Amino acid sequence: MLTRNSRWLLIALALTALVIALVPLPATLAQPADRHFRIEASSFEYTPPVIAVNPGDRVTLELVSTDYVHGLYIDGYDLDLTADPGQTARLTFIADKPGAFRFRCSVTCGPLHPFMIGKLNVGVNWLLWRAAGLAVLAATAIAIPRNRATFKDRLRGALSPRPRGPLRVTARTRLESINNCK
Amino acid sequence: MTRFDLTTLPLVKPLLKSRWPQFVIQSIALGGFIFAIFAGLVGTPVGNHNFSIVFVWIAWWALLMLVAVPIFGRGWCSICPIPLPGEWLQRGAALAPQGHGLGLGWRWPNRLRNIWLQNGAFTLVALFSAVVLTQPSVTAIVLAAFLFVALGASLIFERRAFCRYLCPVGGFIGLYSQVAPLEVRVKDTAVCAAHTEKTCYTGNADGYGCPWQVFPGGLVKNTYCGTCVECLRTCPHDNVAINLRPPGADLLRPTGRKLDEAFKAFIMLGSAMAYSAVMLGPWGGIKSAAYSVGSVAWFGYALVFLAFIFGILPGLFLLAVSLGELPASRRPTRKAFISFAYTLVPLGLTAWIAFSLSFVFANISYLWPALSDPLGWGWNLFGTAGVGWTPYLANALPTLQAIVLIGGLIWASATARQIAVELKGGLQQALPVIVFCFAVTLGLLWLLVG
Amino acid sequence: MVASRLNTEFAARVFVLGIALGLPLAALIARLADKTIELRARVAEAGGWTPTDLTVAVGQPLILRLISDDVLHGFALGQSDGPAIDVPPGQAVETTLTFDRPGKYVFYCTRWCGLGHWRMRGTIEVAGTTADSTTGQPPLYVTLGLNIDALHEAAVTPKGAPSATRGAQLGVALPANYLTQDYYRAHSPAEVWQALRAGSFSTELTDDEVWDLVAFVWRSNTTPETLAEAKTLYAQNCAACHGETGAGDGIAAAALRDKAHEAQTEFGHLTQAPADFTNADHMLGASPALLQGKIIRGGMGTGMPYWGPIFTEVQTWALVDYLWTFQFEYK
Repeated sequence: MLTRNSRWLLIALALTALVIALVPLPATLAQPADRHFRIEASSFEYTPPVIAVNPGDRVTLELVSTDYVHGLYIDGYDLDLTADPGQTARLTFIADKPGAFRFRCSVTCGPLHPFMIGKLNVGVNWLLWRAAGLAVLAATAIAIPRNRATFKDRLRGALSPRPRGPLRVTARTRLESINNCK
Repeated sequence: MTRFDLTTLPLVKPLLKSRWPQFVIQSIALGGFIFAIFAGLVGTPVGNHNFSIVFVWIAWWALLMLVAVPIFGRGWCSICPIPLPGEWLQRGAALAPQGHGLGLGWRWPNRLRNIWLQNGAFTLVALFSAVVLTQPSVTAIVLAAFLFVALGASLIFERRAFCRYLCPVGGFIGLYSQVAPLEVRVKDTAVCAAHTEKTCYTGNADGYGCPWQVFPGGLVKNTYCGTCVECLRTCPHDNVAINLRPPGADLLRPTGRKLDEAFKAFIMLGSAMAYSAVMLGPWGGIKSAAYSVGSVAWFGYALVFLAFIFGILPGLFLLAVSLGELPASRRPTRKAFISFAYTLVPLGLTAWIAFSLSFVFANISYLWPALSDPLGWGWNLFGTAGVGWTPYLANALPTLQAIVLIGGLIWASATARQIAVELKGGLQQALPVIVFCFAVTLGLLWLLVG
Repeated sequence: MVASRLNTEFAARVFVLGIALGLPLAALIARLADKTIELRARVAEAGGWTPTDLTVAVGQPLILRLISDDVLHGFALGQSDGPAIDVPPGQAVETTLTFDRPGKYVFYCTRWCGLGHWRMRGTIEVAGTTADSTTGQPPLYVTLGLNIDALHEAAVTPKGAPSATRGAQLGVALPANYLTQDYYRAHSPAEVWQALRAGSFSTELTDDEVWDLVAFVWRSNTTPETLAEAKTLYAQNCAACHGETGAGDGIAAAALRDKAHEAQTEFGHLTQAPADFTNADHMLGASPALLQGKIIRGGMGTGMPYWGPIFTEVQTWALVDYLWTFQFEYK
């Protein structure tokens, strides 16, 4: 059913999608450095809520709880900190995985505890850019004009569930209309 | 576009025709529901260790949004416990018909034969969701309210009036069931035309007339069919089939598209975006505002929320639709607006799936302690009371969410094109709508994956 | 056919009612049959411990189920070496306590849970035949007749932090009476400096070198183990208000300073900014006995808790020893 043109187009689209999704890209051009962050935890937010480092950085987090015992668990890095007010907790790690990672509270601290969330940005969030690129590709691909006949065929197919019998058209529309009154 | 009738498979028809399998599942669901109300009222006030919060907003929601709706459409409705006490009283029986039941049996007023009430109910619950989702006692009250309203509706009105016109969950399940790969349809409409009694609607000794006030013979869309399969039991000509079909088939049917459903699409898409920002975002100020019901901050939050869902999102969409009609110099028709709104059905469904993925998998480990100690009273029924919290799939989730969102964009854009063809507008009519879907997808990607 | 239908209908009704009503009923029955005493923990502003007072007989095991209704709390008995038990929210922890001697025991929360944390205390009344009426010795500040609420500014202060090591290296042979524990506890560093300054053995020394001697005297009255233990006690109990560096800038300090009127409403008296242990004027004019008094008795309307029922005497003196590390260099 596909014409030669649309077949080549499809291949080109698939290749572009693969490139966008898989081509290796450097997460940063900066040299690794020592980074230090003091994060205050209260019910139910972190201050600052978003921290950014470069891949390879040696990151030291200081968790300072201001009201109750809070935790800080980093998705993806599987690291956990717990801090009582008055006892700053410290953790040092190498940010070797690039991307955006949520960190969340790991000690129940009240009703909104499951929504106590912050974000660690390590380098460029290539997943977001790749996804955005694929979204552009998808929208463009679908918006490209193609053979209208193909669409009409598909539309016709979608509208008829193959009823049988001599009264098919009138019976169907009549019965349909019963439900459409409501 | 083939459809495969699942009732031709062995065991399917006997299992559905018999009332017991469905009844057993319904009873278990009802037991769980009542226990959730009980747990919310007398159990621990700590949400993540209370059966009501964990099993309703994490387990059941996961099941609904990730499995039941995308695959079974309104499948949850066939086992939902909320209408059951009222329905059994109304019917006078828990199983097959046997005499009269209670109730006035009034017809639902014509003016209200739409889903606007459901839209309102969902919006109301959504406004208070920060409190509902975290306080067991509030969850219990909301669930009990549903039960009593459904009970009252069954005793005053005929059939499943609550489910069809009042249930906030049913509002969106119905809309999203249009994309499900399962449907209940008749095999041959000629048979229905020749059948004078129409027992699928009026009922007989084998079963009840359609509780959803749908005439099965004329069913062409999933929206209002609750897959309760009463019609399968009452049809004397074995004319009811459960078809496996390509997803999204109902979206392209031009008949039955209405403004209330269009707005339901906006409400759902808008609330998925709002929840992604408020609940999963790093902005604590908004969360506190959403939680402190009654405060000035909360009123501000409520206003912005409502403005976004009922104003900004539909407004931008109207702009997109009218831009699409510009070359032909036509005023944006109500018909175009409503028709194109159905592109937001797959978009909204995938938005909700993407949101639910991170919320559910981050918290599903609470299931184990909640199973063993549902009330936080120190029980250990299954030995898992001490299992600590661990987020699951934390590494894979962002990629999964991106895939789901892009999939939704592709689906919505394809739908937009097909609707444009149907409206005889061509590409220029679909393009601004596709751009709208693209912008929404970018927003959700940034909120969830960024 | 009708009869069998009625039978199945009956069976169906029994089934669904059994599940729907059975589960909550079973839960309620299990609850009522459970005789374990439940001790619920909430932040002080929401009620603290419930119940606050328990009774048990001597030698009888007291089985408690500890549950928190909001945030992470802890449970421990005052003046005891028993370990603290964490009370996580929504999860029950069982513990059994047995008392050998009658009396009034205090239990308290061990994980900081807000400004009212130190108020989360309760009592266990242990009844018994031998009424133990040993009241024990009065605290040292009472014996010495100190007014621990009076100002205690030091007349002279050093330029930098005095170092005990430098003081040791001065090679001064101090008379024995300066090195006794009683002497140390009863005198403030400023007083000891005056005494040492006037002594014949220190004529060659500068003022700051005499301060180093004072630091040396202070260090000789404690051990590294004591300081290590006290460091943990300080971190767990004092740092939230007084600051991890002792500067009176703990995480709760701002609220204590700025929300005095709220504290008045909530707790019945005002609060003020916590003491700054790095302030030489205040600290060097205070004797260890005065500091011990403040810790035991509390602040009388300042927000400073009274730790008398909580810390043992050994622990209290250890804390006092530790507080001087904010003034003196011991390494």
